[in-house]
Amino acid sequence: MIVSILIYGLVNSVILILTALGFSLTLGLSRVANFAHGGIYVSSGLVAWLLLRRVGLPYPLALLLTVLISGLLGALIYRLILIRVRGIELSEVIATFAVGVAILEFFRWLGFVTYEFNLPSFIPGRVDIAGVLIDYQRLFIIGVGLVLALLLWFFSHHTKIGLALRGIAQDEYTALTLGIESDWAATLSVALGSSLTAVAAVTILPLGIISINTGYDVLLIALAVAVVGGLESTVGLVVAGIVLGYAMVITSNFVGPQWMMVVYLVAIVLVLAIRPSGILGQFKELEERV
Amino acid sequence: MKRGIFALFALVLVTSLISACGAAPQQEQAAPAAEPIVIGVPTALGSIEGADALRAVEMAVEEINAAGGVSVGDEKRPFKVVSIDTREHEAGIPVHDALAAVEKLILEEEPDAIVVGAFRSEVLMASMDLISEHKIPYITSIAMTPAFQQKITEDYDSYKYLFRNSNNAIFFTGYIIQTMNYLGQEFGFNKVYILYQDVLWATGTANGVEGWLNENGWEVVGKDAYPIGATDFSSSLTKAGEAGVQVIVPIFDMPESGILLKDARNMQPPALITGFISPAASASAWDTFEGELDGMVTFSVEVGPVPVQAVPKSVEFNTRYGEKYGADLQSKLSGHGPAPAYDSVYILADAIERAGTLDPDALVTALEATDLEGAVGRIKFSEDHQVIYGTDPKEGALGVAFQWVDGKRIPVFPEAAAEGKIALPEGLQ
Repeated sequence: MIVSILIYGLVNSVILILTALGFSLTLGLSRVANFAHGGIYVSSGLVAWLLLRRVGLPYPLALLLTVLISGLLGALIYRLILIRVRGIELSEVIATFAVGVAILEFFRWLGFVTYEFNLPSFIPGRVDIAGVLIDYQRLFIIGVGLVLALLLWFFSHHTKIGLALRGIAQDEYTALTLGIESDWAATLSVALGSSLTAVAAVTILPLGIISINTGYDVLLIALAVAVVGGLESTVGLVVAGIVLGYAMVITSNFVGPQWMMVVYLVAIVLVLAIRPSGILGQFKELEERV
Repeated sequence: MKRGIFALFALVLVTSLISACGAAPQQEQAAPAAEPIVIGVPTALGSIEGADALRAVEMAVEEINAAGGVSVGDEKRPFKVVSIDTREHEAGIPVHDALAAVEKLILEEEPDAIVVGAFRSEVLMASMDLISEHKIPYITSIAMTPAFQQKITEDYDSYKYLFRNSNNAIFFTGYIIQTMNYLGQEFGFNKVYILYQDVLWATGTANGVEGWLNENGWEVVGKDAYPIGATDFSSSLTKAGEAGVQVIVPIFDMPESGILLKDARNMQPPALITGFISPAASASAWDTFEGELDGMVTFSVEVGPVPVQAVPKSVEFNTRYGEKYGADLQSKLSGHGPAPAYDSVYILADAIERAGTLDPDALVTALEATDLEGAVGRIKFSEDHQVIYGTDPKEGALGVAFQWVDGKRIPVFPEAAAEGKIALPEGLQ
């Protein structure tokens, strides 16, 4: 029991981290709110399915194309919609959320709702770890999740582009004076965030089916992880993912599976009430200092 | 400024046009000459059960119209189908939204009767007052709660217009129990884990099954409820594996429940899965699940989607469906709903011809006297307006339990329909 909770808890934590990575990149790093996150997640899954099953591309190529297409979708969302409401955060949230809902309901209207719409595992099969059978796909998720989290941290702290994106978040006008063109940087951050979301989607979706309802859950999960961990901290994201992931699995095992989803929703409320900047966030303190 | 206002106006106009198109009930071209008898189908057309049921209804209507129509007194009149999508099977759709769709169908299309009916038992119960108010004969083929029958019994005069010709949760629980009984006696199994969807029909079924199991020497290691849209069943399966259960009973109608089957393969030791998982019931499920279904015992809640030789009309229904809609849709026939939906049109036609009128009260009396051979077996209503399901197709209607073996669905229960016996998965011998 303990071993299986440890292992499935870790898998769940990494799923949460992966799901939130793309969202965190855009919101945390460059203060661009992309609430179409759920729509991009599901559309990545369905685009991958279409490329694989309808166009007949080999799986790895389909996945690669999906990530690129999602990046383009993100850039389009910025260029067509976000750019017009840039700076008015409430409008950004509402506009992108509306786009997300539109994408999800569009796919539902087209009929992508049965069990038929699922992605195959990268490598089928299972392996025994300390008495617990776990499939290769879940191991993949752990690997991909941790690698991407590391890459995100490295990117945001040690590359010029990453630092530019963080600069925009900290103080847009100063960043402009330093030659960081804010629209270009924001487009890039939304595109990158969408690509990360696509990677998360194609890695996690083979565990189940591409369900339209997941799109709504995914946005909430990403928001929960980002809020609990602190908006612009990658380390906070990982910590929050682990805390929430284990909390959900423990709740499911000892209280009941219906309560799993309540966990991260309650977490959002608690964190915002007690420590709004999150576990490792620093925005609040910055504002207080100024 | 002016351009902006014009653009806004154009946008509002376009959006209203789109939503008007989307919300309008679909209509078929009525046959010329006599005024058609309008049959309404308000149900979850996005669910496989609802979509298949509508196709089954349209097939029956086509057959009847081709044979000349229905005699209402001296006149022969054709049927006409109108439908509306209530979307009630989706997560997050409130009951009153579904009811609004039903009411729209009733007010705009003025159906003479309604078939297929609600998908969700919650919506069925809520619809009863609406149907009673408009006095429309209503034969439901999907929602399974027995509370429906109770309400009819408690206030017959108000609710006598409502009937059900599909299986209900009580008979279905009976089928599950008899299958479990066989497993207990034949293989000595005594440990079980129940997983079910947190909706009326599944909760009722799970409670019924649990009650019987507890009284008959089984140990129910756990009984977990999952909300619609849940995708992670690993906690229950891990607990089941650790307790060494021999049988897992899933009770689900959402597409996500297929994930349970994938997760169940991770269980150590393996268990026999015996229950209802909506996506696993159709013939095409074998390919969809890439063979992971092997050994699972599930149900065709009514025969038809699984044709059985003991009910010749079930074979006819299945074959004709394939001829009309193609082999692909035939293989995807869902395990609950299409056969009774098909029958309901014939039940209506038969009742109208016996009553000689479309008057609702006369129709109710005629419906109550129904005794027909249908795709589900022998159709007779009990006093509380439920078709009686049992184990003998000469006496009543039939549901069937079947086991997936090597890509084929082998009926295993009841005896009248069985073509094989339950075989155990490896590791559980």
